[in-house]
Amino acid sequence: MELVVTRNFGRPESWTLASYREAGGYEALERVLKEMTPEEVTDLIKASDLTGRGGAFFPTGLKWEFVRKDPKTPRYVVVNADESEPGTYVNRLSLELDPHMTIEGMIIAAYASNAERGYFYIRGEYGLSHERVKAAMREAYEAGYLGQGICGRDDFNLEVEFRRGAGAYIVGEETALFNSLEGKRGNPRFKPPFPTNFGVWGLPTAINNVETLAAAPAIVMNGAEWFKDLGIGDAAGTKMYCLSGNVVNPVCVELPLGVSAREVIMEHGGGVPEGRTLKGFKPGGASSAPLTPAELDAALEPKSMADLGTIMGTGGVVVFDDTTCMVDVAYRDALFFEDESCGFCIPCREGTPNLVQICERILHGQGTMDDLDLLEELGASMMASFCGLGHFAHQPVRGAVSRFRDEFEAYIHGRR
Amino acid sequence: MAIHHTELETPPGREPLPESERPKLETLRERLQPLKELPGSSIEALYAAQELFSYVPPEAMTLIAEELKIPESQVFGVVTFYTMFSLEPQAPNVLRVCRDLSCHLAGAPKLIGALEDALGVRHGHTSPDGQFTLKVVSCLGLCDMQPALLVNLDQHGPVMPDDVPDLLDGIRNGAG
Ligand SMILES: Cc1cc2nc3c(=O)[nH]c(=O)nc-3n(C[C@H](O)[C@H](O)[C@H](O)COP(=O)(O)O)c2cc1C
Ligand code: SF4
Ligand code: FES
Repeated sequence: MELVVTRNFGRPESWTLASYREAGGYEALERVLKEMTPEEVTDLIKASDLTGRGGAFFPTGLKWEFVRKDPKTPRYVVVNADESEPGTYVNRLSLELDPHMTIEGMIIAAYASNAERGYFYIRGEYGLSHERVKAAMREAYEAGYLGQGICGRDDFNLEVEFRRGAGAYIVGEETALFNSLEGKRGNPRFKPPFPTNFGVWGLPTAINNVETLAAAPAIVMNGAEWFKDLGIGDAAGTKMYCLSGNVVNPVCVELPLGVSAREVIMEHGGGVPEGRTLKGFKPGGASSAPLTPAELDAALEPKSMADLGTIMGTGGVVVFDDTTCMVDVAYRDALFFEDESCGFCIPCREGTPNLVQICERILHGQGTMDDLDLLEELGASMMASFCGLGHFAHQPVRGAVSRFRDEFEAYIHGRR
Repeated sequence: MAIHHTELETPPGREPLPESERPKLETLRERLQPLKELPGSSIEALYAAQELFSYVPPEAMTLIAEELKIPESQVFGVVTFYTMFSLEPQAPNVLRVCRDLSCHLAGAPKLIGALEDALGVRHGHTSPDGQFTLKVVSCLGLCDMQPALLVNLDQHGPVMPDDVPDLLDGIRNGAG
């Protein structure tokens, strides 16, 4: 398998400019600036079918084109490195091991969307990432890849500011991130208008996940078809999948988008520990509803996950063996969303603690069958939430009930 | 950000800054000067305050509001929004232990218990020797190191209950 975004991870001092250049780094940027118009770049990225790795899988080329076509200036590019979805650590590895690849992708995105300012926003807890990205940005400025007159093109400037968060999952939501950049509380904003027209400071903004941007240089060098063909079936490109939970090897592997959960968990994760059996798994972080071993052959890509009533999410695959209680799993997810709800809208602010209470009731043997129906009703009411957090928060709990109902009933009927 | 979670600390007192700490406000004022050129940098301003005082005292919030020309209510809103800011004094070593799913499955509850025993405090509090503040937090993005924790911003994991004495000794001896 050809690697795209992790191909430099094993190189000595892979995070330095010297190492990145030795591996062909910034050649894509030079090619773009010498040979391509911004239109040609967005056409290329559109043709590659690159979609947002932050979880929403929106077409990246289209996003950059929307920004370019908005007449308001200055336009912005923003790197979303707020990665905080439980079970997910793919962006952290990219930031620690190959920050320049994301920076190069960001500069290409700026050129394609005719942006002249940018922010690199990293969650507050990623200390090593802060150091590596700040150092890489300094190197990029010194080498003339950032700043005024990039690579000798006096019509292309990009000033990027490094920013860090301070502990808030919700700030990963793009409009909340803009509020955070503006020095405000990180509550989400109403959409529309969308970030491409009304982003940070109300200006057109291309905001992308680290992994999305990191894929751009390789697409420039190898072409749209090459990237598209790396995926399985209709899915294009690769994805970093990362494993955790009851798995022998909690590792991150870059694989074709659309690989089966079986391959990720069994081959790369080494399956569950000796003497245990697989009970289930989550395909992509806390927000994704769990699946069963019968669904191991499903393709880990957005469409087939949606068909199964869950989401592809972030690629954070969490594995459960027979020693794990699925009611407890649902409870842990509920606790996470209760803590991370920003409290701005009622369905989520009230709904997330309700999810916790119902799970607690069931775990303490005080639940009734009505509670399982109540979860369904609560989920429906939470769909009226203001942002994606509230829309997703109930899915893992309800998903656990629908796939592992016998475990919930065992508590309710006092068999546990 | 949780509103009424049982694991949350009691609402912090808004004690005025002790007289001995007041000179640091001048240092803070100096450190805020470059941030005036960077609109929206209230988070960095608060980090600067927390670095000096170990927490964000009310006087620092007033100063930040004045210097950055933003309402004090906005500064307070930001401090209370982000979990990494504290309104109460903290120890020089803040331990943040992940309690989310992957770490939970890998033994985070036992790890938290071992840390509470070794430090002699419940999480959310500072150890009697004043060296450690223990916090239980959401996923740190260190799930490959499950169960994981941060010592200030240094990443550790997997940390098993048996590793706790050595970990704490290491930090006490400055190797943290
Ligand atoms: C609650 C919530 C949290 C999110 N957290 C992140 C995050 O940490 N990182 C990220 O890239 N996208 C996150 N997103 C998605 C972003 O809103 C946005 O879609 C993404 O940054 C766009 O970049 P992409 O197109 O490259 O994926 C989150 C969305 C929601 C609703
Ligand atoms: S859904 Fe939740 S996180 Fe989103 S705005 Fe409402 S309260 Fe905040
Ligand atoms: S679940 Fe503990 S670091 Fe991610």
